[in-house]
Amino acid sequence: MAETATTNKNLVSTIHDTLAEEMRNDDRIVVLGEDVGARGGVFRVTMGFLDEFGEDRVIDTPLDENLIAGVAIGMAMDGLLPVAEMQFADFIFPGFNQIVQEAARIRYRSNNDFNCPVLFRTPYGGGVHGALYHSQSIEALFAHVPGLKVVAPSTPEDAKGMLITAIQDEDPVLFLEHKKCYRLIKGDVPDERYNIEFGKAKVRREGSDVTVVSYGLMHHFCVEAADRLSKDGIEAEVIDLRSIYPLDMGTILESVGKTNKVMIVYEDNKFLGVGAEVAAQIAENALFELDGPIVRIGGPHVPAMPFAPTLEHWFLPDVDRLEQEMRKLAEY
Amino acid sequence: MASLTMVEALNLALHQAMEADDRVVLLGEDVAQTGGVFRVTAGLLDRFGESRIVDTPLAEAGIVGSAIGMSLYGLLPIVEIQFDVFVYPGFEQIVTHAARYAWRSKGESPASIVIRIPYGGGVRAPELHSDSPEALFAHVPGLKVVCPTTPSDARDMLLAAIEDPDPVVFMEPKRIYRAGREEVSEELPFEIGNGHGAPAELLSTARVAREGTDLAIITYGATVPLSVQAADELASDRGIQTKVLDLRSLYPFDIEAICSAASECGRVLVVHEAPRHAGLGAEVSSLIHERVMLDLHAPVMRVTGFDVPFPQFANEDDYLPSVARIKQGANKVLDW
Repeated sequence: MAETATTNKNLVSTIHDTLAEEMRNDDRIVVLGEDVGARGGVFRVTMGFLDEFGEDRVIDTPLDENLIAGVAIGMAMDGLLPVAEMQFADFIFPGFNQIVQEAARIRYRSNNDFNCPVLFRTPYGGGVHGALYHSQSIEALFAHVPGLKVVAPSTPEDAKGMLITAIQDEDPVLFLEHKKCYRLIKGDVPDERYNIEFGKAKVRREGSDVTVVSYGLMHHFCVEAADRLSKDGIEAEVIDLRSIYPLDMGTILESVGKTNKVMIVYEDNKFLGVGAEVAAQIAENALFELDGPIVRIGGPHVPAMPFAPTLEHWFLPDVDRLEQEMRKLAEY
Repeated sequence: MASLTMVEALNLALHQAMEADDRVVLLGEDVAQTGGVFRVTAGLLDRFGESRIVDTPLAEAGIVGSAIGMSLYGLLPIVEIQFDVFVYPGFEQIVTHAARYAWRSKGESPASIVIRIPYGGGVRAPELHSDSPEALFAHVPGLKVVCPTTPSDARDMLLAAIEDPDPVVFMEPKRIYRAGREEVSEELPFEIGNGHGAPAELLSTARVAREGTDLAIITYGATVPLSVQAADELASDRGIQTKVLDLRSLYPFDIEAICSAASECGRVLVVHEAPRHAGLGAEVSSLIHERVMLDLHAPVMRVTGFDVPFPQFANEDDYLPSVARIKQGANKVLDW
């Protein structure tokens, strides 16, 4: 097999480059959001877009997420492929009605006559001292809403393939980008154009003692914790969920069948977080293959996220804690 | 004592709360002149006047936002969201603001509001009038979420919600608003406005709706009576004694009651109307497997709505958990 050319880059550059390349390929793609034009986005995802694509395709909006979502839905139903940026995931809630009541239902309401290929991109998650309104994890709320797809790539390679898939998807997609991963996580990204299908988790690290399911920043912490445990002879299988709805239970159940122990890690508050659904489905399908309880590690049930560094640290699971919890489960 | 439906019991609670404490105000679409589309607020305008019973424009963000402001200035506002789906325009106000005032102010200024939401399907309503959004609120830290199923619970829990300093999302299963009558005491369940708040158990405990030891059905809202009916049929069909646990409090969960029902019966079915994926059933199941997995003889199973938007009413009976579907789920857990 011929070696594929790759370029090493971080997550945010990958999203920038991929989105730009897709806009060059397809002039139906437009971006809109707060500061995405003249400023290039607060995280620089759309840096240079205004100059290259012009103000008809790169639209600075007022600070009104209800409007951003609503306009994007209208554009999508009228033949464009809008990529709407919610500046921080925490800001998405004024647009909740548009996303949940309109975008998610259009295919159903119109008896399949209409569809809504809108893409909402948003940086989420903590660990950047963003405090209450710049740190939230919102994925579980949207995963409960029928009619939406929710994805959260954690590596540059996945972000490219999944962003292309998200733009091409004929239905609304919520594309979550962990903001702490933006510049922290680098990787080799194939130069060619490729798709990564939604609903496919990835086994990033193989192991036989315990299965660890996570996504986003927590996935990287889990891999690091697993590498540490390996020195003591404990081998964790670490799965990156990648797609939160639809879920890839096949990959998870196959791994659980091998390790017989499973832990789900997420930084969102634990109660009714994504881990609840994963745990419930594992129990429904593989309860008696388990040699230990289905462990969930999630945030405490207080509003995300405290500002004081000590409290932020207390809120977010870290590598030390994950190593400890994984060891405890492996030895159960 | 009076024989009341849930609607009448809620109406009684509102009259009693407003009589006892003049900080209590009520606002929402059609709550004054019309007395509410379901008549929960009937008679209040005549009794308490238009400065306490406020007809609002059709703008849920404005309704909830105004209520938060009123609360910060010392009132105790009750908001009526006319139908479930209409709550989404107010989602930001509830989740980003109401839920967080206690935290943001170090406990000094909680948003003491009650958000009443008639919710759920089964009433042949047009689209956007039948959602079950409770899981969205239960996941949000800073909110209490409760759901009464009987007229007397509805009366007592609404009074407690008004008295509670935290924002309470009060889910009212509209399908059983008038499903039956119950003797409701007109005596107050606790002393209103004495500074001690409501008894905690009114907003944090489950209720055993039917005793049993072979199977536990854990549910809430309009599927409680259906689960009791399914349990009765399981008893006559195959001699199975089914406990039915009515959660009542959706956040916080009564973990003790949930886990002891699971341990006692060893077999658990969770029933709700909301979509399955990431619904409350997922959390109930996860909790049980986390804490008392070794007491189980079968995995916890779920009978729920489907992962599609709530259908038009011609198809709603196919979407909603029925007695037949509950029994089918129960038999699966029993025969596992």
